[in-house]
Amino acid sequence: MTKSVRWQLVAAVVITFVFVAPILWMVLAAFKTINDIYAIPPVWVPDFTYLDNFKLLLSENWPFLLNSTIVTLSATALCLAFALPCAFGLVYFQFGAKNFLADWILSTRMMPPIAAAVPLYMVFNGAGMLDTMPALIIAYAGFNLPFAVWVAMSFFRNIPKEIIEAARIEGCGWFQTFRIVALPLAKSGIATVATFVFIFAWNELLLALFLTTREAKTFPVVISSFSTVTKTYWELISAATIIQILPPVIFTILMQRHIVSGLTMGAVKN
Amino acid sequence: MGEIVLKDVEKSFGDVSVLRDINLTIKDGEFVVFVGPSGCGKSTLLRMITGLETVSGGQVVIDGEDITHTKPSSRGLAMVFQSYALFPHISVRDNIGFGLKIAGLPKAEIDAKVAQASGILGLDALLDRKPRELSGGQQQRVAIGRAIVREPAAFLFDEPLSNLDAALRVQMRIELIRLHERLATTMIYVTHDQVEAMTMADRIVVLEGGDIQQFDTPIALYDRPVNKFVAGFIGSPKMNFMEASPGPDGTVQVKGGPALKVPGLDPARMTGRMTVGIRPEHIRYAHDAGDLTGKILVEEQLGSDAFLYVEVEGIGMVTVRAVGERDFHSHQTVHLSLPPETCHVFDESDLRINEN
Repeated sequence: MTKSVRWQLVAAVVITFVFVAPILWMVLAAFKTINDIYAIPPVWVPDFTYLDNFKLLLSENWPFLLNSTIVTLSATALCLAFALPCAFGLVYFQFGAKNFLADWILSTRMMPPIAAAVPLYMVFNGAGMLDTMPALIIAYAGFNLPFAVWVAMSFFRNIPKEIIEAARIEGCGWFQTFRIVALPLAKSGIATVATFVFIFAWNELLLALFLTTREAKTFPVVISSFSTVTKTYWELISAATIIQILPPVIFTILMQRHIVSGLTMGAVKN
Repeated sequence: MGEIVLKDVEKSFGDVSVLRDINLTIKDGEFVVFVGPSGCGKSTLLRMITGLETVSGGQVVIDGEDITHTKPSSRGLAMVFQSYALFPHISVRDNIGFGLKIAGLPKAEIDAKVAQASGILGLDALLDRKPRELSGGQQQRVAIGRAIVREPAAFLFDEPLSNLDAALRVQMRIELIRLHERLATTMIYVTHDQVEAMTMADRIVVLEGGDIQQFDTPIALYDRPVNKFVAGFIGSPKMNFMEASPGPDGTVQVKGGPALKVPGLDPARMTGRMTVGIRPEHIRYAHDAGDLTGKILVEEQLGSDAFLYVEVEGIGMVTVRAVGERDFHSHQTVHLSLPPETCHVFDESDLRINEN
């Protein structure tokens, strides 16, 4: 090992530690009592068989975890269902103002979500959809549509034009071309889009705070409620956060192979 | 059946006109090659026949039916692309049977047709592989297989051999000629390679600058090109061109060379400035005497032929094709003669004016 490689290794370990430390500390805290969390000197290694934090948390809040799951999966599916055909059309159909339309779709992304929070509240209130999961599903899918359309467009563009043309000459209509040829070839793009939408919807807090009160509350809202004016329940926050970060981690690992191939697709001529 | 008629077909992209007044009748079972330099519009013309490109004006008629505005999937044509355009996510078997499956044929029938096509093309051992596991030549065969199983009204080829190496190109050329004999289906083939055009076509369409220059048999193009462009484009090495003017007694006076009595040339059609063209293989050469004297700059010896690049004072570079010749070398002096019966004469607007 040369000297410079050794220094790189040291730097890598330090930087990794900086990023991992808070998560590590949180994992340790999840297995501590509130007294152990505040103890000085710190309790470095807790008793990992102490699961009361998790038991207490889930016994009261499992319906909200279920809400989160339903909202996230539905929003991801809904977003893809609209974004993929839209992107396909924007890439392959010939019509005037095509580029303008694509830019316009992207421009809606430039608005900060908070700017839409109040109008969304009024719209869903008027529709009688406040504190319902469909409201969140629609809002999350909608917020991610521009991004999803643009990423999907870039993946459809990477499919050689001749392959799409060959499908059409072989007798495929547009929908068949989309379903039988374009979708399987844009698989990695779909995985990438799905992962991003999944993570956004799963972690979203702001709109969920606005649009839900009790029935449709999602898990991030629950976590935020553990920090009150009088007391912060660090042991519950820690336990809840572990549960909160697990699904995105698992989902990303499952999709990783596709995402990596997606990000390098088109980098070399094959 | 597959008679394809183009009537006054035009194409423009915005204000840019890329094809004008295209009138062609391609007979059923004919092998027609569109040839021309890049940018001449040959691929665009092919794509308009497939429907992948819209037609700006005129009509496309297949077997008497106007299909100008019919979508590509309903035209019953098959196309082989330069990049093969195989579906990378499915096997060779599914690629070949793709169109049949889309058409909703029963599986047993698809299997039988795929087996037949793969037998013709020698793909039997490769049916379960994915396209990326095949060589370029094999991928090309799969693309052809995908086209033939559908028994289309016509096959369209867009520079299908350009991505293959030279040896494979010659082999595939022969296979395509044999395939055409066997299927007797209309084939339209786009290429910029005039050797492919000459060897494969029943008739050739020479395109340049968006216009059809000439539509005729390969031999007619070679023997009787209508203009200087066709004369220069067909034949390898290229035809030699020399400046000329009207000479005495109905002859054509080559500038810096002899006066030629070209048969079949009407003196009334001569213009002040003309061009005489002669193919490299028609020039006679000798060590001792001739109409022109020059120096061999480069000798390209192929064994079967020697190409002599001769610098002639007052004329410039003249290419001579000397069949089987071993006795003329670089830096030697050579004497050239231009047999008038092999010369072509072009007027000032580059149209050929001798009638032989």
